[in-house]
Order: sequence, then C-alpha cells, then structure tokens
Amino acid sequence: MTKQLRVALAGNANVGKSVIFNQLTGLNQIVGNWPGKTVERAEGTLHFKGYTIRLIDLPGIYSLSPFSIEEIVSRDYIATEKPDLIINVVDASALERNLYFTLQLLELDAPIVIALNQMDLAAKKGIRINVKRLSELLGVPVVPTVAITGSGINELLLTVIEVIEEKRKLQPFNVRYGQEVEKIIQELQEIMKREPSLADVSYPLRWLAVKLLEKDEDVIKKLRDYECADKILKHAERLATKLESIHGEPSPVVLASERYSIASKIFKEVASIDAYPRISFEHKLDALTTHKILGYIFLTCVLASMFTFIFIGGNIISEYLDPLFRSLIFQLERILQAHLPEIAVKLISNGVLDGVTAGITIALPYIAPFYIILALLEDSGYLARAAFLMDNLMHKIGLHGKAFIPLILGYGCSVPACIGCRIMETQRERLIAAFVVTLVPCAARTIVILGLVGRFVGLYAALGLYAFNIILILALGRLAFKVLPGEPVGLIMEVPHYKKPSLRVVISKTWFRTKEFVYIAFPIIVAGSLAITAMDLTGFIEILTSNMKPLIEGWLGLPANAGVPLIFGVLRKELTLILLSELIPLESLTAMQMIVFTLITMIYIPCVATIAALVKEFGWMKALTIAIVNVALALLIGGIAYRVLTFL
Amino acid sequence: MASREDKKALQGSNKNDGLTVLADVAEGEKCIVVKALGSFGLVRRLTEMGLTPGTEIKLLRKGILGGPVEIEVRGVALILGREVASRVLVKPVKEEQND
Repeated sequence: MTKQLRVALAGNANVGKSVIFNQLTGLNQIVGNWPGKTVERAEGTLHFKGYTIRLIDLPGIYSLSPFSIEEIVSRDYIATEKPDLIINVVDASALERNLYFTLQLLELDAPIVIALNQMDLAAKKGIRINVKRLSELLGVPVVPTVAITGSGINELLLTVIEVIEEKRKLQPFNVRYGQEVEKIIQELQEIMKREPSLADVSYPLRWLAVKLLEKDEDVIKKLRDYECADKILKHAERLATKLESIHGEPSPVVLASERYSIASKIFKEVASIDAYPRISFEHKLDALTTHKILGYIFLTCVLASMFTFIFIGGNIISEYLDPLFRSLIFQLERILQAHLPEIAVKLISNGVLDGVTAGITIALPYIAPFYIILALLEDSGYLARAAFLMDNLMHKIGLHGKAFIPLILGYGCSVPACIGCRIMETQRERLIAAFVVTLVPCAARTIVILGLVGRFVGLYAALGLYAFNIILILALGRLAFKVLPGEPVGLIMEVPHYKKPSLRVVISKTWFRTKEFVYIAFPIIVAGSLAITAMDLTGFIEILTSNMKPLIEGWLGLPANAGVPLIFGVLRKELTLILLSELIPLESLTAMQMIVFTLITMIYIPCVATIAALVKEFGWMKALTIAIVNVALALLIGGIAYRVLTFL
Repeated sequence: MASREDKKALQGSNKNDGLTVLADVAEGEKCIVVKALGSFGLVRRLTEMGLTPGTEIKLLRKGILGGPVEIEVRGVALILGREVASRVLVKPVKEEQND
C-alpha cells in the first residue's frame, strides 16, 4: 500500500517555484482557482519511494501579511490544512529578503525543508553561501538546487522523505524578537492562553499574538468569531500602543524591522560576497529595456510581436478550424434531421453546435497563444520592465504599470485580457482593470467600427470613435478607482533578473490553463447561445423587440429592427453588423444612426465568452454587475449621442 | 493622496536635518531609510519589502516624466511608483569620490 503525503511549495515570487513544481509533477497537474478566489491553484501528484505525494504550489508571495489575497490564501492553507511538509523555495541570489519569508513560515510552526534555488544566479552575482551553516542556523535541511537544469531535485525529494520518516529531525530556529517586544508578545499570549474558547484555533497562539500586535486586519476579522474577541482585541490594542510608544514606529514596522534584522544576521553569517559580480549581459539587457527612449522602442516591438503572434496566429488557426467545423456541423445537421423533429434540430445546431463552434474557432485560437505569451512574460522577467515604463500613464486611470498588459491585449480580444488582469496584486485592482478592459474595443468591435462607420461615414469618424473610447476609459477608470472600496497601494514590485524561460514550464502552463478555460467557459458559452436560440424559436425575441421599440426608436433613434442584431451580438460582437446588414440595407441608415449603433456595440454588454471569463475570474455577481453597468452606459451614451448629433 | 500631516512632516524635515525623500535622490546615489510615511497599508508593505528604518538603498534609475524609481535594497531590485517613493524619508549617503 502506498502512503499518502501532502507537501506544499512556498516561497517568494520569481524564485523558480513553478519550475521546481513542474520538475516534480510533470504532466500530473490540475490547474484551477482557489475556491472563490482569483488566485491560481496548481496541484500535482508524484510517486516516490513508495509514497504518493500530493504537491500543492502555493502562490509566490513576499510575506504572510494580509496585503494580497495570495498571502491570505497561503497562510490559511499552511495553518488550517496543515500539510505534512512545506518545501520553502528560497532564491539564493536574494537570500536576505527570502529569509524574511522563511522566518514567517517558522513562526507559523510549519515543518519546512529549504530548497536553496538559483544557486547558479547567486554564483554569477558573486554570492557564496555556506549551505551547511545555513541549515545549522535554521535547524532545518537545506538542499541547494538549480531547478532549471533539474540539479538537486532528486536530493530534495530524498530529504523530504527522510524528514517524513523522521530519519532527520527538524529543530526549527525559534524566531525571537528583542527583549521589550518579546515581553509584550508573551503578555498577550498569556492572556490568550487563559481563554478556553481559543483552545481549538488552528493557528499557533504566539503567531496570533504577533499578528494582533501587527494589527493584521484578517486575523482581527477571524478572531471576531470568538466570544472573547472584544477582550483580546482591547488588550492587543493597548499592548500595540505600548510597543509603538517604546519604539516610536507603527507596530508592524517594529516587528518587521526586527524580523529583518534576524534575517540580515543569518545572511551575514552564511554568505560572502565577491566584490566583482559577473552578469554583464543581463545588466546590458536591463539597461536597454528600461532606457528612457530605447526602452519604449523595445516595448513597442514587444507589443507588436505579441499582437502579431496572438492575433495573426489566432486568425490562422481560426481560419483553418472554421470551415472544418462548418462542414462538420452540416453533416451532423443532416444526420439529425433524419431522426429528430425540426425544432430540436434547430436548437441543437443553432444553440449547442454554433456555441461550441464559436468557442473553438473564435475564443480558443486566441487564448492558447495568449497563454504562451503570458507565460513568457511572467517567466522572462520582462513584465516588471514594462510596468516600470508604463506606470505613469496607467496612473491616469487609477491603476499602475502592470495594468498596461491586459489593457493592450483588450484591443485584440477581451477574453485573454480579462484573464490577464490577474497579474494585478489586489482584488480591487483586478476588478478595475477588468472593468476597463471590457470597454476596450476588441478585434470584433473593430470590425463593426471600421465596417460600418469607417466604410460609410468616413475614417475620421471611426478614429473619432476610438478617441472617444480612450477618453471614456480614462474617465470611467478614474471613477471606478474612486468608487470601489479598499485602499489603493501604489506600485511596489520586485524586478526579477532576466531569465531564459523554461520551455517545459511555458508549455505546461499554457496547456493546463487552456484546459481549465475550456472547462469553465464552454458551458457558459453554450448555455448562452442555447438560450438565445430558444428565445428566437419561441418567438420571444419578437415580443422583446416590440417591447424594446420605444427604447430603440424613441431613445436611440435607430430603426426598430436594429434591436435584434444587438441581442444576438451578445454571442459575438461582429454579429451585430452581420445581422444588421441582413435586416436593413446599410446604405439606408443615416450617418448619425451608424455612429449611435457602433457606439452601442462598442460599449454594451461584453460578449458571452468575455462574460464567461469574468465569471471565472470574479464570480457571477461581479461579472453581471460589469455587464449591467456596460449596458446602462451604452444606452445612456447612445441616447446622448443621438441628441447631440441631431443637434449638430 | 498625501495627507496634510505627511506633507508637513516632509517639508519640516527638509529644512532641518538634511533629510530628503527617496523620489528626490539622484540616479546612482545611495541613501538610508529614515521612515516611511503615508497610509498604514503602504508603510507596512514597504517595510515588508525590506525598507526598514536604517536600511541602505541605492537608487538605480528613474522613469521619465515622473515615472517610477528603481532601487536596490537588500540585494534585490524593486520598482516603486513615484508617489510611493515620495513617501519614503531618507538620509543621503555621501560617497567618497574615488572608489
């Protein structure tokens, strides 16, 4: 019988954690989200020495404070799920900062083994580390690794098993603060110990005491479930104030500073630094890509090739798949017609099959290349440079540098753009970015803008619509920034060293993310198109159109049957134009009507695939809120445009 | 975003003791963190990223038109938005001329 083990990988971002994860699990992975969170959860299994190890890759984080969702998810997992062992992946080239995180794991009483990764990079930077001494000081095994080449991985696994089988005992280093701080922590801990209701909390009491002194809002929230909360919080507040008056700093600063000074002391004892580091190529690349002029030229090139790859690549796949699916559907329809009544055939072919086809031939060809690019951007370290260059501009819409990537992607397809919003740190920023992204005219909307206004009204009018769109995004981004609750924190971001991305990691990330997208988005896309087909067959759409007449004719000044294309446009935005041209000769529309129709197509409800992506990232409530806000906005702007344009 | 008290603190310190804010340090210069000002969340985050009082920082580069600053702290490169960097009170380090 094999023995089951649960092991978690934890560590800072950019330490090569996902490379180690892929080295260990290969293709046995499940990529998903943490329940109810926009945080990627990667889980895999491996078999080693008669053990079945379930490995979970925790998000890359710098601390276990409540700053980001990732940090809360990680510490809750460690404290409440209590994995058998945690592999703390530590970047040898940034040891001091990484040790700050290790100390926090130790404070959580987590059983850890350290994978001292990127030893090659550390050597390049001229940093030599006494691994044995580090292991002695921390009281846990330290295995040097170079994940990208697989060096040290086997030893890491052997060490994990040795610890599990208790052939190697952990004697973890006790994190102890300065005298005054210790006295205060212990006082609070004693008070908590006397509370019988706190006997069964899954977090160590000492850790809770430290977090309460740090005024950790998430821990405070969790404590409120207990009867004694008021009493404990009062004491915590009193003691935190005492701490602050002794040190003259906010209590989180006092504790973090002390933690850092412990990390610094350990670092100085185990590391020696050569005076002359040898990483000239990376330095040159870094200088070029952040240069005041050349950096922007480079960025433009990167974006251009990104677009070419995603959209030209997507177009090619899409063009290849489209006729294939058309003929397939044609064949299927013929088979179905022989066995089923007319209405059922229509439901299946227009609803289910068309939905699947739209998903496969429209969304998927762009999403898979996008995931490749995202993995490359993430793993190479370029994302941080792009954020450096664009931070300024993004501030105008209340976001910071990183938001630039999803925003630009939005001009191609909203679906990968919405998913790309997860590169933002906080839920608040992700939501603002996603909201803004749904307003960016994607390729399908570009078809309508150019095919209707550009062709019949003129190119300047079309460009005018784009300009208007940018102003709208600036205004609404700012508004969302003001309205949404939560505290904005400016750009604070690590700049990782440039690294050659691992092909294996890029491919495996792309594969598992694409698979997950298909599972989540396709049912929604099919359900959406099924619903619209059913509405059409039952005559509900006709009733809807006649009811919408005052809105379409009276408020928007459009011909009454323009409502139908707008309903079907939810499936695919370019359908609005295709159906409109089938219902009304486009030449018969006035310039004003074309502009109003295009404006509405540009802003109203995101397409079904985008809604699916939003649901996947943010849940139904937020996805529907964004959709409703967009519809209301489109109707408002359409109506105003009608009146203003008539007046002109 | 900057509260009035913060601005006062910044101006006051500018006059008195040769302190400045990180955003005003020149490219290539070094300085020592004195204090991070601003909201609770920001101060905590900066501290966690290693900018604790007394830490030496090197300013690597600045973005154009009020763009962010890139610094080196504890052997790691970090980007801070300009508005973040202008909340970090620092003491410039005078470096010897020939090194």
